[in-house]
Amino acid sequence: MLDKLQLNIKIGFFLAYRQIRGSSFWTTSLIVFVMILTFLNLVVVSGILVGLIEGSIAAWHNQYTGDIMISNLESKDYIENSLSIISLLHTIDDIQYFSARFNKGGTLEANYKTKKENEKPNIASAQIIGIDPFAEDRLTGLSSHIVEGSYLAPGDYDKVLIGYFLLKQYLPVDSPGFTTLNNVGVGSNIRITVNGITREVTVKGILKSKVDNVSMGLYMIDSQAKGLIGRQDNNFSQIAIKLKDGVDPAKVKKELLLRGIDKNAKVQTYVDAQPKFLKDIISTFAMLGNGLSSIGLVVASITIFIVIFINAITRRKFIGILKGIGINGQAIEISYILQSMFYAFLGSVIGLFIVYLILVPLFLAYPINFPFSDGILVAPAGETLIRVALLVLSTVIAGYIPARMIVRKNTLDSILGRN
Amino acid sequence: MIETRNLVKTFRDGDVETKVLKGIDFRAENGQFIVIMGRSGSGKSTFLYQMSLLDEPTSGQIIIDGRNTHDMSAEEKILFRLTQCGYVFQDYALLPELTALENVVLPLLMQNVKNKNAYATAKEALTKVGLSHRFNNVPSHLSGGEQQRVSIARAIAHKPKILFADEPTANLDNESSKAIIAIFKELHKEGQTIIMVTHEDQYAIMAEKIIKLDDGKIVSEIKN
Repeated sequence: MLDKLQLNIKIGFFLAYRQIRGSSFWTTSLIVFVMILTFLNLVVVSGILVGLIEGSIAAWHNQYTGDIMISNLESKDYIENSLSIISLLHTIDDIQYFSARFNKGGTLEANYKTKKENEKPNIASAQIIGIDPFAEDRLTGLSSHIVEGSYLAPGDYDKVLIGYFLLKQYLPVDSPGFTTLNNVGVGSNIRITVNGITREVTVKGILKSKVDNVSMGLYMIDSQAKGLIGRQDNNFSQIAIKLKDGVDPAKVKKELLLRGIDKNAKVQTYVDAQPKFLKDIISTFAMLGNGLSSIGLVVASITIFIVIFINAITRRKFIGILKGIGINGQAIEISYILQSMFYAFLGSVIGLFIVYLILVPLFLAYPINFPFSDGILVAPAGETLIRVALLVLSTVIAGYIPARMIVRKNTLDSILGRN
Repeated sequence: MIETRNLVKTFRDGDVETKVLKGIDFRAENGQFIVIMGRSGSGKSTFLYQMSLLDEPTSGQIIIDGRNTHDMSAEEKILFRLTQCGYVFQDYALLPELTALENVVLPLLMQNVKNKNAYATAKEALTKVGLSHRFNNVPSHLSGGEQQRVSIARAIAHKPKILFADEPTANLDNESSKAIIAIFKELHKEGQTIIMVTHEDQYAIMAEKIIKLDDGKIVSEIKN
């Protein structure tokens, strides 16, 4: 039985190879082109949908949370014993560096100097974030997000960086629940009020980022922020940690938990710290991508079906002759299956080159500028190989069915061209 | 060696029934060269197709070497055609994308003959029909006579018990036809059983026995 199958595969290969060799270059190119497009549709559509969110996640990871985020417990708005935690962080080899932040909600006011008595104050709510400018920039590259003005220096007292979502010229939204500051730019003075304490500061720079916490935050140096938010005890609200390359964040998180940090703070890897809506969108987009890809797969299957059907029906006489001189029907069917596989395989291989050598590097270099992320193309090798297998499998079936239909026809009718 | 008993073939088109073969009794011995003749529509090609197992008769028996072919499965018939029969068709029936050598070697490979031996045998068969210089030509680069010789080489390469030929010279000019018939005579001289359908008297007289068909029946059997 196995020997017979082996022989039929050998003969099928003999016929398929010669049929492809003898076919028109342009016809073969067209079929392969359809396969390439199908492959790209399979990989790129879902890859971009997922990449859109992955871009957002990467932004959160690189621009805000770091690899590990230590933050206050729900019951407190600061991390108790922050200084001893920081001492502990210095002892862990896997940690490259970290940035500790003070963080508290406050109100910003713009028109307090010019406003008339009965005029509405121009205020906006913001997170006041106190940072060590050097440590924060090293961890999140915050200075690279300055679009106007300049970055904070360590001694920049009464100077702030303001997120562009808080400024009307960048976000002209007029919503009752969300207000922005009007006519505020670099050099403008604004008033910050936190817990009843008010300070006047000057805008030194404007930040533009795809991470909401940055775009809606107000950054100032930590020594001033702790006074403003009343944290003279040096207890921070967040500590973002960057690990050495290749270190698993889960491993360091475990180590931190073993050291009992969880008594005073919440420890999360950057994956844990992702907002839930991002995780939900990823699964929804992945599903959507798969749905769209499936349509592509059906189109490819129908294309191959038509190609093989037309090929087989125009070669019906020769199929009849093959059967007439004693060539096994299974060998003839295998020859068509191998041709379908050839088209799908060649299309996939070229598609793989296009995806991994052109599109992925291109999207990394020039991400798609979405409002909330820099969209990249996500094409994990494992999933891509599954898609290649799926494409090959569907074309094999699409090639087999018409071949079988023609091979099953009466031998003599096929030879004589009778219906 | 090959015998038909009361062979009937009827074609049905809706309610219309056409009886093409009306009970043919026929016998051919090993090594004989038999020609089947008859006017158009007499049933000579249909008769050949039944004997060569390319078609299934409506009733009657075909016995080859004592075995009733009616008892064979479809698979056995394919194998029988592959190993015991050779076919030469009027329109050559070569595969257009295969070279002359590949057309001839294909049935040998299907018989699981080792590649080296199969190609050597195919070359030998092509040389025998005078095409040693045309191994690598595809059919479209060969003349009609050369294509028919490739077809003969394919039919005889595996040394079949019976060679069936359906109007092998009908599409050829006089010179090519003579060359084809000369090959048939040579094969017959070597002991090959040949059953050939033709309507050309000049070639029919070269056979040992001429069977004439009319209206689905054998009307005469002439021994040369």
